[in-house]
Amino acid sequence: MSAKQRIVQGLGLATAGALALGLTACGGGEGGDDDGLTTIGFVAVGPEGAWREANEANIQDTFTEDAGYELKYAPATNLDQKSQIDAFTSFVDEGVDVILLSATEATGWEDSLKRAQEAEIPVILLDRGIEPDDTDLYVTRIAPDNIEVSTAVADWAVSAFPDGANYFVLEGPAGVSVVNERNEGFDAVVGGQPSLVKVGAQTANWSTEEAKGVVETVLKSNNNDVQFIFAQNDEMGLGAVQAVQEAGLTPGVDVKIATIDGTKNALTALAAGELSFVAEYNPLFGETTLEVVEQVLNGDDVESSIVVPSATFDSPEAAETALPDRKF
Amino acid sequence: MSANARGPVEALKGLVRRQYFWGIVAVALLLLVNLVKDPGYLAVSIGPSGNLAGNVIDILRAAAPVILIAVGMCLVVATGGIDLSVGSVMVVAGAVSMEFLKDAPDTVGSTFTALALVIAVSAALGAVNGVLVSVVGLQPFISTLVIMLAGRGLAKVITGGQNTAATNETFRWIANGYVFGLPVVFLLALLVAVGVGLLVRRSALGLMLEAIGMDAKAARLAGVNRRALLFTVYIFGGVLAGFAGVFATASVMTVDVSRTGYQLELDAILAVVIGGTSLAGGKFNITGAVVGAILIATLDKTVVFLGVSSSATPAFKAIVIVALCLLQSERVRRVFRQRRAAGTARPAEREVVAA
Repeated sequence: MSAKQRIVQGLGLATAGALALGLTACGGGEGGDDDGLTTIGFVAVGPEGAWREANEANIQDTFTEDAGYELKYAPATNLDQKSQIDAFTSFVDEGVDVILLSATEATGWEDSLKRAQEAEIPVILLDRGIEPDDTDLYVTRIAPDNIEVSTAVADWAVSAFPDGANYFVLEGPAGVSVVNERNEGFDAVVGGQPSLVKVGAQTANWSTEEAKGVVETVLKSNNNDVQFIFAQNDEMGLGAVQAVQEAGLTPGVDVKIATIDGTKNALTALAAGELSFVAEYNPLFGETTLEVVEQVLNGDDVESSIVVPSATFDSPEAAETALPDRKF
Repeated sequence: MSANARGPVEALKGLVRRQYFWGIVAVALLLLVNLVKDPGYLAVSIGPSGNLAGNVIDILRAAAPVILIAVGMCLVVATGGIDLSVGSVMVVAGAVSMEFLKDAPDTVGSTFTALALVIAVSAALGAVNGVLVSVVGLQPFISTLVIMLAGRGLAKVITGGQNTAATNETFRWIANGYVFGLPVVFLLALLVAVGVGLLVRRSALGLMLEAIGMDAKAARLAGVNRRALLFTVYIFGGVLAGFAGVFATASVMTVDVSRTGYQLELDAILAVVIGGTSLAGGKFNITGAVVGAILIATLDKTVVFLGVSSSATPAFKAIVIVALCLLQSERVRRVFRQRRAAGTARPAEREVVAA
């Protein structure tokens, strides 16, 4: 490719949006090796909740200077995608060695990823995927598998209710990929069990307060004839516990509640017998990421999708064992 | 009341002419739909702990925080302003109280200290709005937008980005307890609404607020202390939002920094508009705001009771609200009236329909 062509391309990109930074991209590329450290740009989500905090702190703790890395952490402002794209662009212009990306929104990343590709900077997706999922644009995606995690919940439900049960699902906001995947994994198993009857599903927007309100009404509309509640995150599960208690029923006995995430609060509730099953959605993938980054820098091939293993907790004892070193 | 003196028929006619009448009709219709699904819907029984329990009670409890913020919003809108910060003030109030109660002993004293902290913080946020609007003279939309964005950030700073939980029986009782068999939150909200209603309508205060909303300059020339009134109204709105935040967090004893009070300012504005308060200012109706708040709570509960799927929920709510706004619109009603009059000129029948 001639220099002229590259400049034309650079101009094209500039007009496409990154007006101020567009031209410098042509020259940049190598660099950042001056002090012997490998530079990593981390385009992160920022404050969102306990899970995200554990996840990003873990990444930051892994890529230390002692390990030979300089991590540049760029959290999004108010979960805004534009601020992420800006951070991504400036990492490309700086010429970092690797970019880690946890996208707040799945769509709209093609242009940015192509620029990184032109600058020959490998991009590794953490947790969140992109849409459309074009595996040529990034090296690999490292994340726990939602389908696998929700299948674990479903398998437990099938074994916990051999005589059947009526169940209700507390979902996250409609249309979010996490919600669709968690439904998919759960329905694939439970859908084949005629003895498990779905009395309904409703969103509680990941919120404890809303979940309590929803479950309160669901119990009334079914005359308390619900034996199992599947909450797609811990917060909603804890709200369900309170609604069940207020209806005069005993959580864990009359109504069994299963949740996904595995935060400290949920494990405490599991240890107290209020929740019956907690499937972890493991946020601690710093180690895995470090291995992958090393492989990529050595020029090795990596799988386009790497699943982080997650644990499950099905008894108060299991929760008590895990609680002391819970990080999130 | 003067309306009662003229007999119940006259009073009913007066009610029909009110804009919030259609809000009441909508609540009744929604309850009817639920009743069709389950004939026992309206049944109120004595719950496990000797209190009233039932779907209607749940609706009243869910309506309480919305009533509070709607009353505050009503007064702000009357002055021609708007308060977009209520949802964020709610989460800050929740964050402050949970963060305090987390380490405080489980006593009545800590509850009152937490409430005092909430009043102080939410009044301070309201005061920032008040200063920006009344002294600096910024647009209310912009000034409260600033607090709306900053507030949620502030809540995250207070709790360190975590969803903080605490235990305190008295604090929990505020949101989950009962007095005379009715939920404490609803009684408190009703008390506030009635109190504010009496205060502004039995004194010249309401008129002054409306005067500011109609024409601020004329109001000042007429001797209305615009600056002090605006200041007070925004602080009052802030404190009410703070209490709504207490209601919301005490219900589950957890503050969810990204979810508590999220977009509730929109619910408050909706409740106020359903109640017949003009967003242009200069006119307000507290009773209407309460009706609007109850309608929103009924709608939320109906969606769950009927089992409307999550993806269809926003559309369902929108259809109900749009239908209601059409019924309230003077123009649409006039069209209907003309049609009826043109079809058959039978005034007697019209009388029956109107009553």
